Amino acid sequence: MVINRRYFLRRAWKACTAFLGGAAVWTSWEMLKARDVAAGGKITLGNPVDYKDGTATYVREGRLWVVNAGGHLRALSQKCPHLGCRVPFCDSSGRFECPCHGSVFNIGGEYIQGPTPRGMDGYALSVEGDALVVDTGSVITGPENSVQNFDSTAKGPSCAAGG
Amino acid sequence: MTELLPSEPDAEERDALQPAATPGPRSRRDRIRQGEAWRSVFRHPNLDTPRGRALQSFSNVFLHVYPVKVPARVLRMRYSFRLGFIATVLFSILVSTGVYLMFFYTPSVTSAYGDMQKLRTGVGFGQLMRNVHRWSAHLMVLVVVLHLIRVFYAGAYKRPRQFNWVLGMGLFAITLGFSFTGYLLPWDQLSYWAVTVGTNLVNYVPFIGTLLRDLLIGGEQIGQITLLRFYALHVAVLPVALCVLLMVHIWRVRKDGFAVHRGGVGAFAATDAPADATSSPEPVMALTKDHTRSRLLGVVDREVETAEERPVDDTVFTWPHMLVRHVVVALGTAAVVIALGVAFAAPLRGVANPDSTPEPAKAPWYFVGLQEMLSHFDPLVAGILLPAGVLLVLTFLPYIDRNPATEARNRKVAIVAFSIILIIAVVATVVGLAFRGPGWKFITPWNHSYIEM
Ligand code: HEM
Ligand code: FES
Repeated sequence: MVINRRYFLRRAWKACTAFLGGAAVWTSWEMLKARDVAAGGKITLGNPVDYKDGTATYVREGRLWVVNAGGHLRALSQKCPHLGCRVPFCDSSGRFECPCHGSVFNIGGEYIQGPTPRGMDGYALSVEGDALVVDTGSVITGPENSVQNFDSTAKGPSCAAGG
Repeated sequence: MTELLPSEPDAEERDALQPAATPGPRSRRDRIRQGEAWRSVFRHPNLDTPRGRALQSFSNVFLHVYPVKVPARVLRMRYSFRLGFIATVLFSILVSTGVYLMFFYTPSVTSAYGDMQKLRTGVGFGQLMRNVHRWSAHLMVLVVVLHLIRVFYAGAYKRPRQFNWVLGMGLFAITLGFSFTGYLLPWDQLSYWAVTVGTNLVNYVPFIGTLLRDLLIGGEQIGQITLLRFYALHVAVLPVALCVLLMVHIWRVRKDGFAVHRGGVGAFAATDAPADATSSPEPVMALTKDHTRSRLLGVVDREVETAEERPVDDTVFTWPHMLVRHVVVALGTAAVVIALGVAFAAPLRGVANPDSTPEPAKAPWYFVGLQEMLSHFDPLVAGILLPAGVLLVLTFLPYIDRNPATEARNRKVAIVAFSIILIIAVVATVVGLAFRGPGWKFITPWNHSYIEM
């Protein structure tokens, strides 16, 4: 094939434009991609024996709950897996009740009812010395809705207004 | 048409067309109007003649948006309900009120909320300016949706206007983008949680959902990065995008011809035949057979008639007929949003608090229907497949619905399908907006309303 001047120029300007477009996309991506502000870290939570069975303790620093579900300690993210509202623990029913669209979880963070696609996400917990340590950098995706390891029965009335 | 639409005169001719300076005593008004300064600004001649009116349009950059003449039917309210025009007016109101707000607003999580409070108490007309901006924004979303619905039922998206419908869908998306990004800016509990819920809907997009959401809000959680991002989108990116698209959209309305029934075979027959460029530069002028009248020019040789076919002129001058109506509608629109702004204050709840979700947390009203669907169906179906499918089909509707008919009786399938989707959307929105309380429980709005705009 003969590459004459006209042929070359016709391809060249298109190639240059494509190159510039690619550069623009790459630049935009680098500039606009999510900056991981809170990469997560370890939070020391004190002695594990302080967390009594059937209680949920809020850890503000990590925006998470530490629960004792029948002797099992768990760290649960406060963020509802449905659409991200903060899920409060309802002391009277002993369950997590999301105020936004009515998802309800048992104390272990497992699905009971509502539109949520899965149970509450959690974080890795470990014991270092005699202190409980949660690593907010290692997220444990919540269990599927069919998983039922913990007691889901309500201890008492629900906290949601009107119900 | 030719006799009414002269070509553009050169400067000399234009001067000659000016009303002659009448001898004798002249009023001051006449003296000013015939003076050089006035005539250098308003170059068109006497408006009272058809020629003057046409030249008025030719010589005025703003009037260039309009055709010189429009079919008389376009003037009827029933034709378009002026919805596209009202949307444009609302956008102008939003630009001017928005710029005022920019003088007092800092997009920072530490000061945004305080700025809104100061605007309320410390700035003359500050609260009113904010109210008008907010109500115009809601109204604009509503009007754009109604405009889309009107265009659908009129069948006005069909050939040759297919592409303008696609542009219109782009404008619709940008309008939603405006409203959604603006919603976050006051940084109160309402904005924070509505945007949290709204952006988390994106999470349900298969494969790239989380990536998209993180790109949108710039991190894990809504925070300073999100506020700045939304602000930049709201006051710079989206306005430019909307202006460019709107420009093309309006230009296409003119060039594609108005989708107005002018009798004859097939609706809008007037413009559907590709206009013959040489004989008729304005597509609106190409008329169907029914709209021509023969004029006998002479009888030659007993049998042969020489006749000229010429269109019945059913058009009127844009200036003043169309313009007067537009000015009235613009004033009416302004009156409505100012009245709303005086009567109802834009809400400002407590400052955004990531540690406490208000009950119930609803997305902005135009996404509440989606939220309602999500509470019933699988998120992949209700959150993504359904809305994305509807949006895709709507966007490319003119290329999918190839049926040329525009009369309702000949396009039953399209009308029934569209109406069903519309009814579902309206019902879901109304239920989500008015009939949902804390915990998304069913409530009756007449007992306790949780509607927040
Ligand atoms: C160039 C045009 C615009 C500019 C410069 C602008 C500017 C602003 C600014 C500075 C704010 C923050 C102050 C506040 O929250 O009241 C704001 C809020 C807002 N904007 Fe805009 N805006 C423009 C157009 C629009 C459009 C076209 C829409 C919607 C269709 C819109 C919807 C909103 C909403 C819903 C808010 C929140 C209002 C409130 O809470 O008071 N804006 N805008
Ligand atoms: S965000 Fe919790 S149920 Fe929707």
